[in-house]
Amino acid sequence: MTPFELVEPASLGEALALLDPDDPAVRPIGGGTALMLMMKAGFFEPRRLVSLRGLGPGITGINEGADGALDIGAMVRLGQLERSPVIRRAAPVIAETLVTHSNVRVRNVATIGGNLAHGDPHMDLPPVLIALGAEVVAASPSGERRIAVENLVESYLETALGGDELITSLHIPSQRNRRAAYIKVTARSADDWPALGVAVSLAVENRAIRAPRIAIGAATETAMRLPKAEAALTGGASWRDTGREAAAEAPVIGDHHGSAAYKRVLVGVTVERALRRALAGVEIAG
Amino acid sequence: MTAPSRTIAFTLNGRPVTAEVAPHHTLIEVLRDGFGLYGARESCGQGLCGCCTVLLDGRGVSSCLYLAVFADGAELVTVEHLAAGGELDPVQEAFIEAGAFQCGFCTPGFVLMTKQLLDEHPDPSDDQIRHYLSGNLCRCGTYPQIVEAVKLAARKRGSV
Repeated sequence: MTPFELVEPASLGEALALLDPDDPAVRPIGGGTALMLMMKAGFFEPRRLVSLRGLGPGITGINEGADGALDIGAMVRLGQLERSPVIRRAAPVIAETLVTHSNVRVRNVATIGGNLAHGDPHMDLPPVLIALGAEVVAASPSGERRIAVENLVESYLETALGGDELITSLHIPSQRNRRAAYIKVTARSADDWPALGVAVSLAVENRAIRAPRIAIGAATETAMRLPKAEAALTGGASWRDTGREAAAEAPVIGDHHGSAAYKRVLVGVTVERALRRALAGVEIAG
Repeated sequence: MTAPSRTIAFTLNGRPVTAEVAPHHTLIEVLRDGFGLYGARESCGQGLCGCCTVLLDGRGVSSCLYLAVFADGAELVTVEHLAAGGELDPVQEAFIEAGAFQCGFCTPGFVLMTKQLLDEHPDPSDDQIRHYLSGNLCRCGTYPQIVEAVKLAARKRGSV
């Protein structure tokens, strides 16, 4: 790796002041697992990395509100999320997803904020968090704003975050009365980067599906919702027809995990399976 | 540019140490080049193979993907420490008795991940064993013996 400056500020204000909106070679660093890969490959040569390790408990905690909403600090390690009793109760799909997310060692180090800020489309958590309606809280010198996870990543490795802005926490609205599932399809081992990830989240009221959210990742340029498939499902379409709608709608692209034609077939089948898993044991009218 | 080096202090295999490191140095570089500890090896360099595993505050990390400065204040254990008292660790004994290696290149990583596994799940299921070790690769293919070794190690630790 090429040499760089590493600074370890002790407060958020200090950290923001050390970022440089005009220099893309100045970036925040959480656990560093993804950045290290890019730096070792020579793809990213930082001038300065701003470590968020010293920012204190505000950025390392998992808190559940009285209504069941979750606030997760950006520096929470993926392994911490996976093991958290709060997460396992309030949003179990996150813990289930993490089991095949890279490996135990990477999850011991990688952070949720870094995972999202990285903007890599081949990640398991973005479609899951989109399906759960999650938002990131981002801070910059001009203040704080919330960005829905579905709007965070704009294109390949490009996010909506400004050059002097960083993710401080993740907010997940209450999932009470909602059910969710994530299905990951890999071309090699189970813990490989996904060829496709499909997440669904929905409520069931009076034996009818309400407010479904269907999100995919790894097969499109960014993780995204599939609104036509969601509308079809709300309108009473079968799980299979909802999958067909999803496959027709998704702007699928190919990569070395699979061709676009192959992934499009996967989308249809996997959406159907994800719905079946989320609704296991639930009776639906019609 | 040249980045200034800094002094980090951490506990290495039970004793307090300091090291002069530059920000771009990885933990494995410091362990091998600074401390002569060669049990952790950089093999894939991408956190996939597990050969560079060390325990940091009791949990496995890929030292090839870990900035050395982030080890400041941590407690680090490498495979060299396991038999520090002159006796093999039960996990090491179990790997020998089960014949859970051939060339041995990956073995330190498997042994250390097994330590984290058994610390968190003293009586692991087959699924838990495969889960914790899924990020460690053995090119000799001794996986069946490794799974047996982990079960044997769990029994050895349970009876201590």
